[in-house]
Amino acid sequence: MFPKLDPLLHSELRLAVMSILAGVDEADFTYLKRQTGATSGNLSVQIDKLTTAGYITMEKGFKGKMPRTTCRITPAGQEAFGKYVEALKEYLSASK
Amino acid sequence: MEQNKEMTAQESLALITETMNNNRKDIVRSSGKYFVLWGILLTVFSLLVFTLWKTTGKAVWNNLWFALPAIGYPLARWIKIKDAAPRAENYISRINGGIWGSFGVFACSIALFTVLYSLLGDSQLTAIVLGATLTAQIVLLFGIAETISGIVLKNWTIKIAGWITGIGGLAIFYIAQAEAEQLFIFTFAGIVLAATGLIVKQQYK
Repeated sequence: MFPKLDPLLHSELRLAVMSILAGVDEADFTYLKRQTGATSGNLSVQIDKLTTAGYITMEKGFKGKMPRTTCRITPAGQEAFGKYVEALKEYLSASK
Repeated sequence: MEQNKEMTAQESLALITETMNNNRKDIVRSSGKYFVLWGILLTVFSLLVFTLWKTTGKAVWNNLWFALPAIGYPLARWIKIKDAAPRAENYISRINGGIWGSFGVFACSIALFTVLYSLLGDSQLTAIVLGATLTAQIVLLFGIAETISGIVLKNWTIKIAGWITGIGGLAIFYIAQAEAEQLFIFTFAGIVLAATGLIVKQQYK
């Protein structure tokens, strides 16, 4: 019996955002946008979903005079991401 | 990138791996500009100290070296704040900053200790030995810092540049045995550092 893949993470853009945030302390919205190649609107929607799920936190502030949105992964997000990767590994080892 | 695309397990893992690799590359690339900054400062200070020392004949101009971190660190901080490119911070960038910060503290400590000992110490011979080997000690520390930086950033160019700076600097120290030894060593180290920064920036363009 394989573990069920977290549907919230099993989406290309949300998974990319979580992969970025899993490896950094924090990241700008613009950094996430550049790294994923997503549009602002699309990225905002997916970030909201991850925030609502408690996987990431979002903080609005300023960098100099420019507004800046910073995202961070939460412990719950790290745990969900770890479980997702483990589940993927199980799927892959079973298919070999 | 689409949010609703159905992915296979392989595609998901490939996406995670690619994203994490891109993150690392981005952090290495952004470190390039700091290598260029410190390389240029080191070369300029090396030439400046040597010129003033040679023209006036006063070794006291060596104290100008203490102005290098005093100018360099605020400048690096200013570049970080002014940097328009979006960025992310992680433990790799923090460790890299820590390595170079530690190098600065230890290099300044050695230099300060040497200056103080030459002024206050009771053994003239010890002061001469400390002063004579100061350049070698600092260039060795410099090479170690650069090599560790390359290991942390997983970048061979930086690792090799660290070996070249440390071992090459020591080789110059032993071979040159000249008045201009400090100029040769630090100009060499500065040029290697700036060139490393430019190469790294090109590698991850």
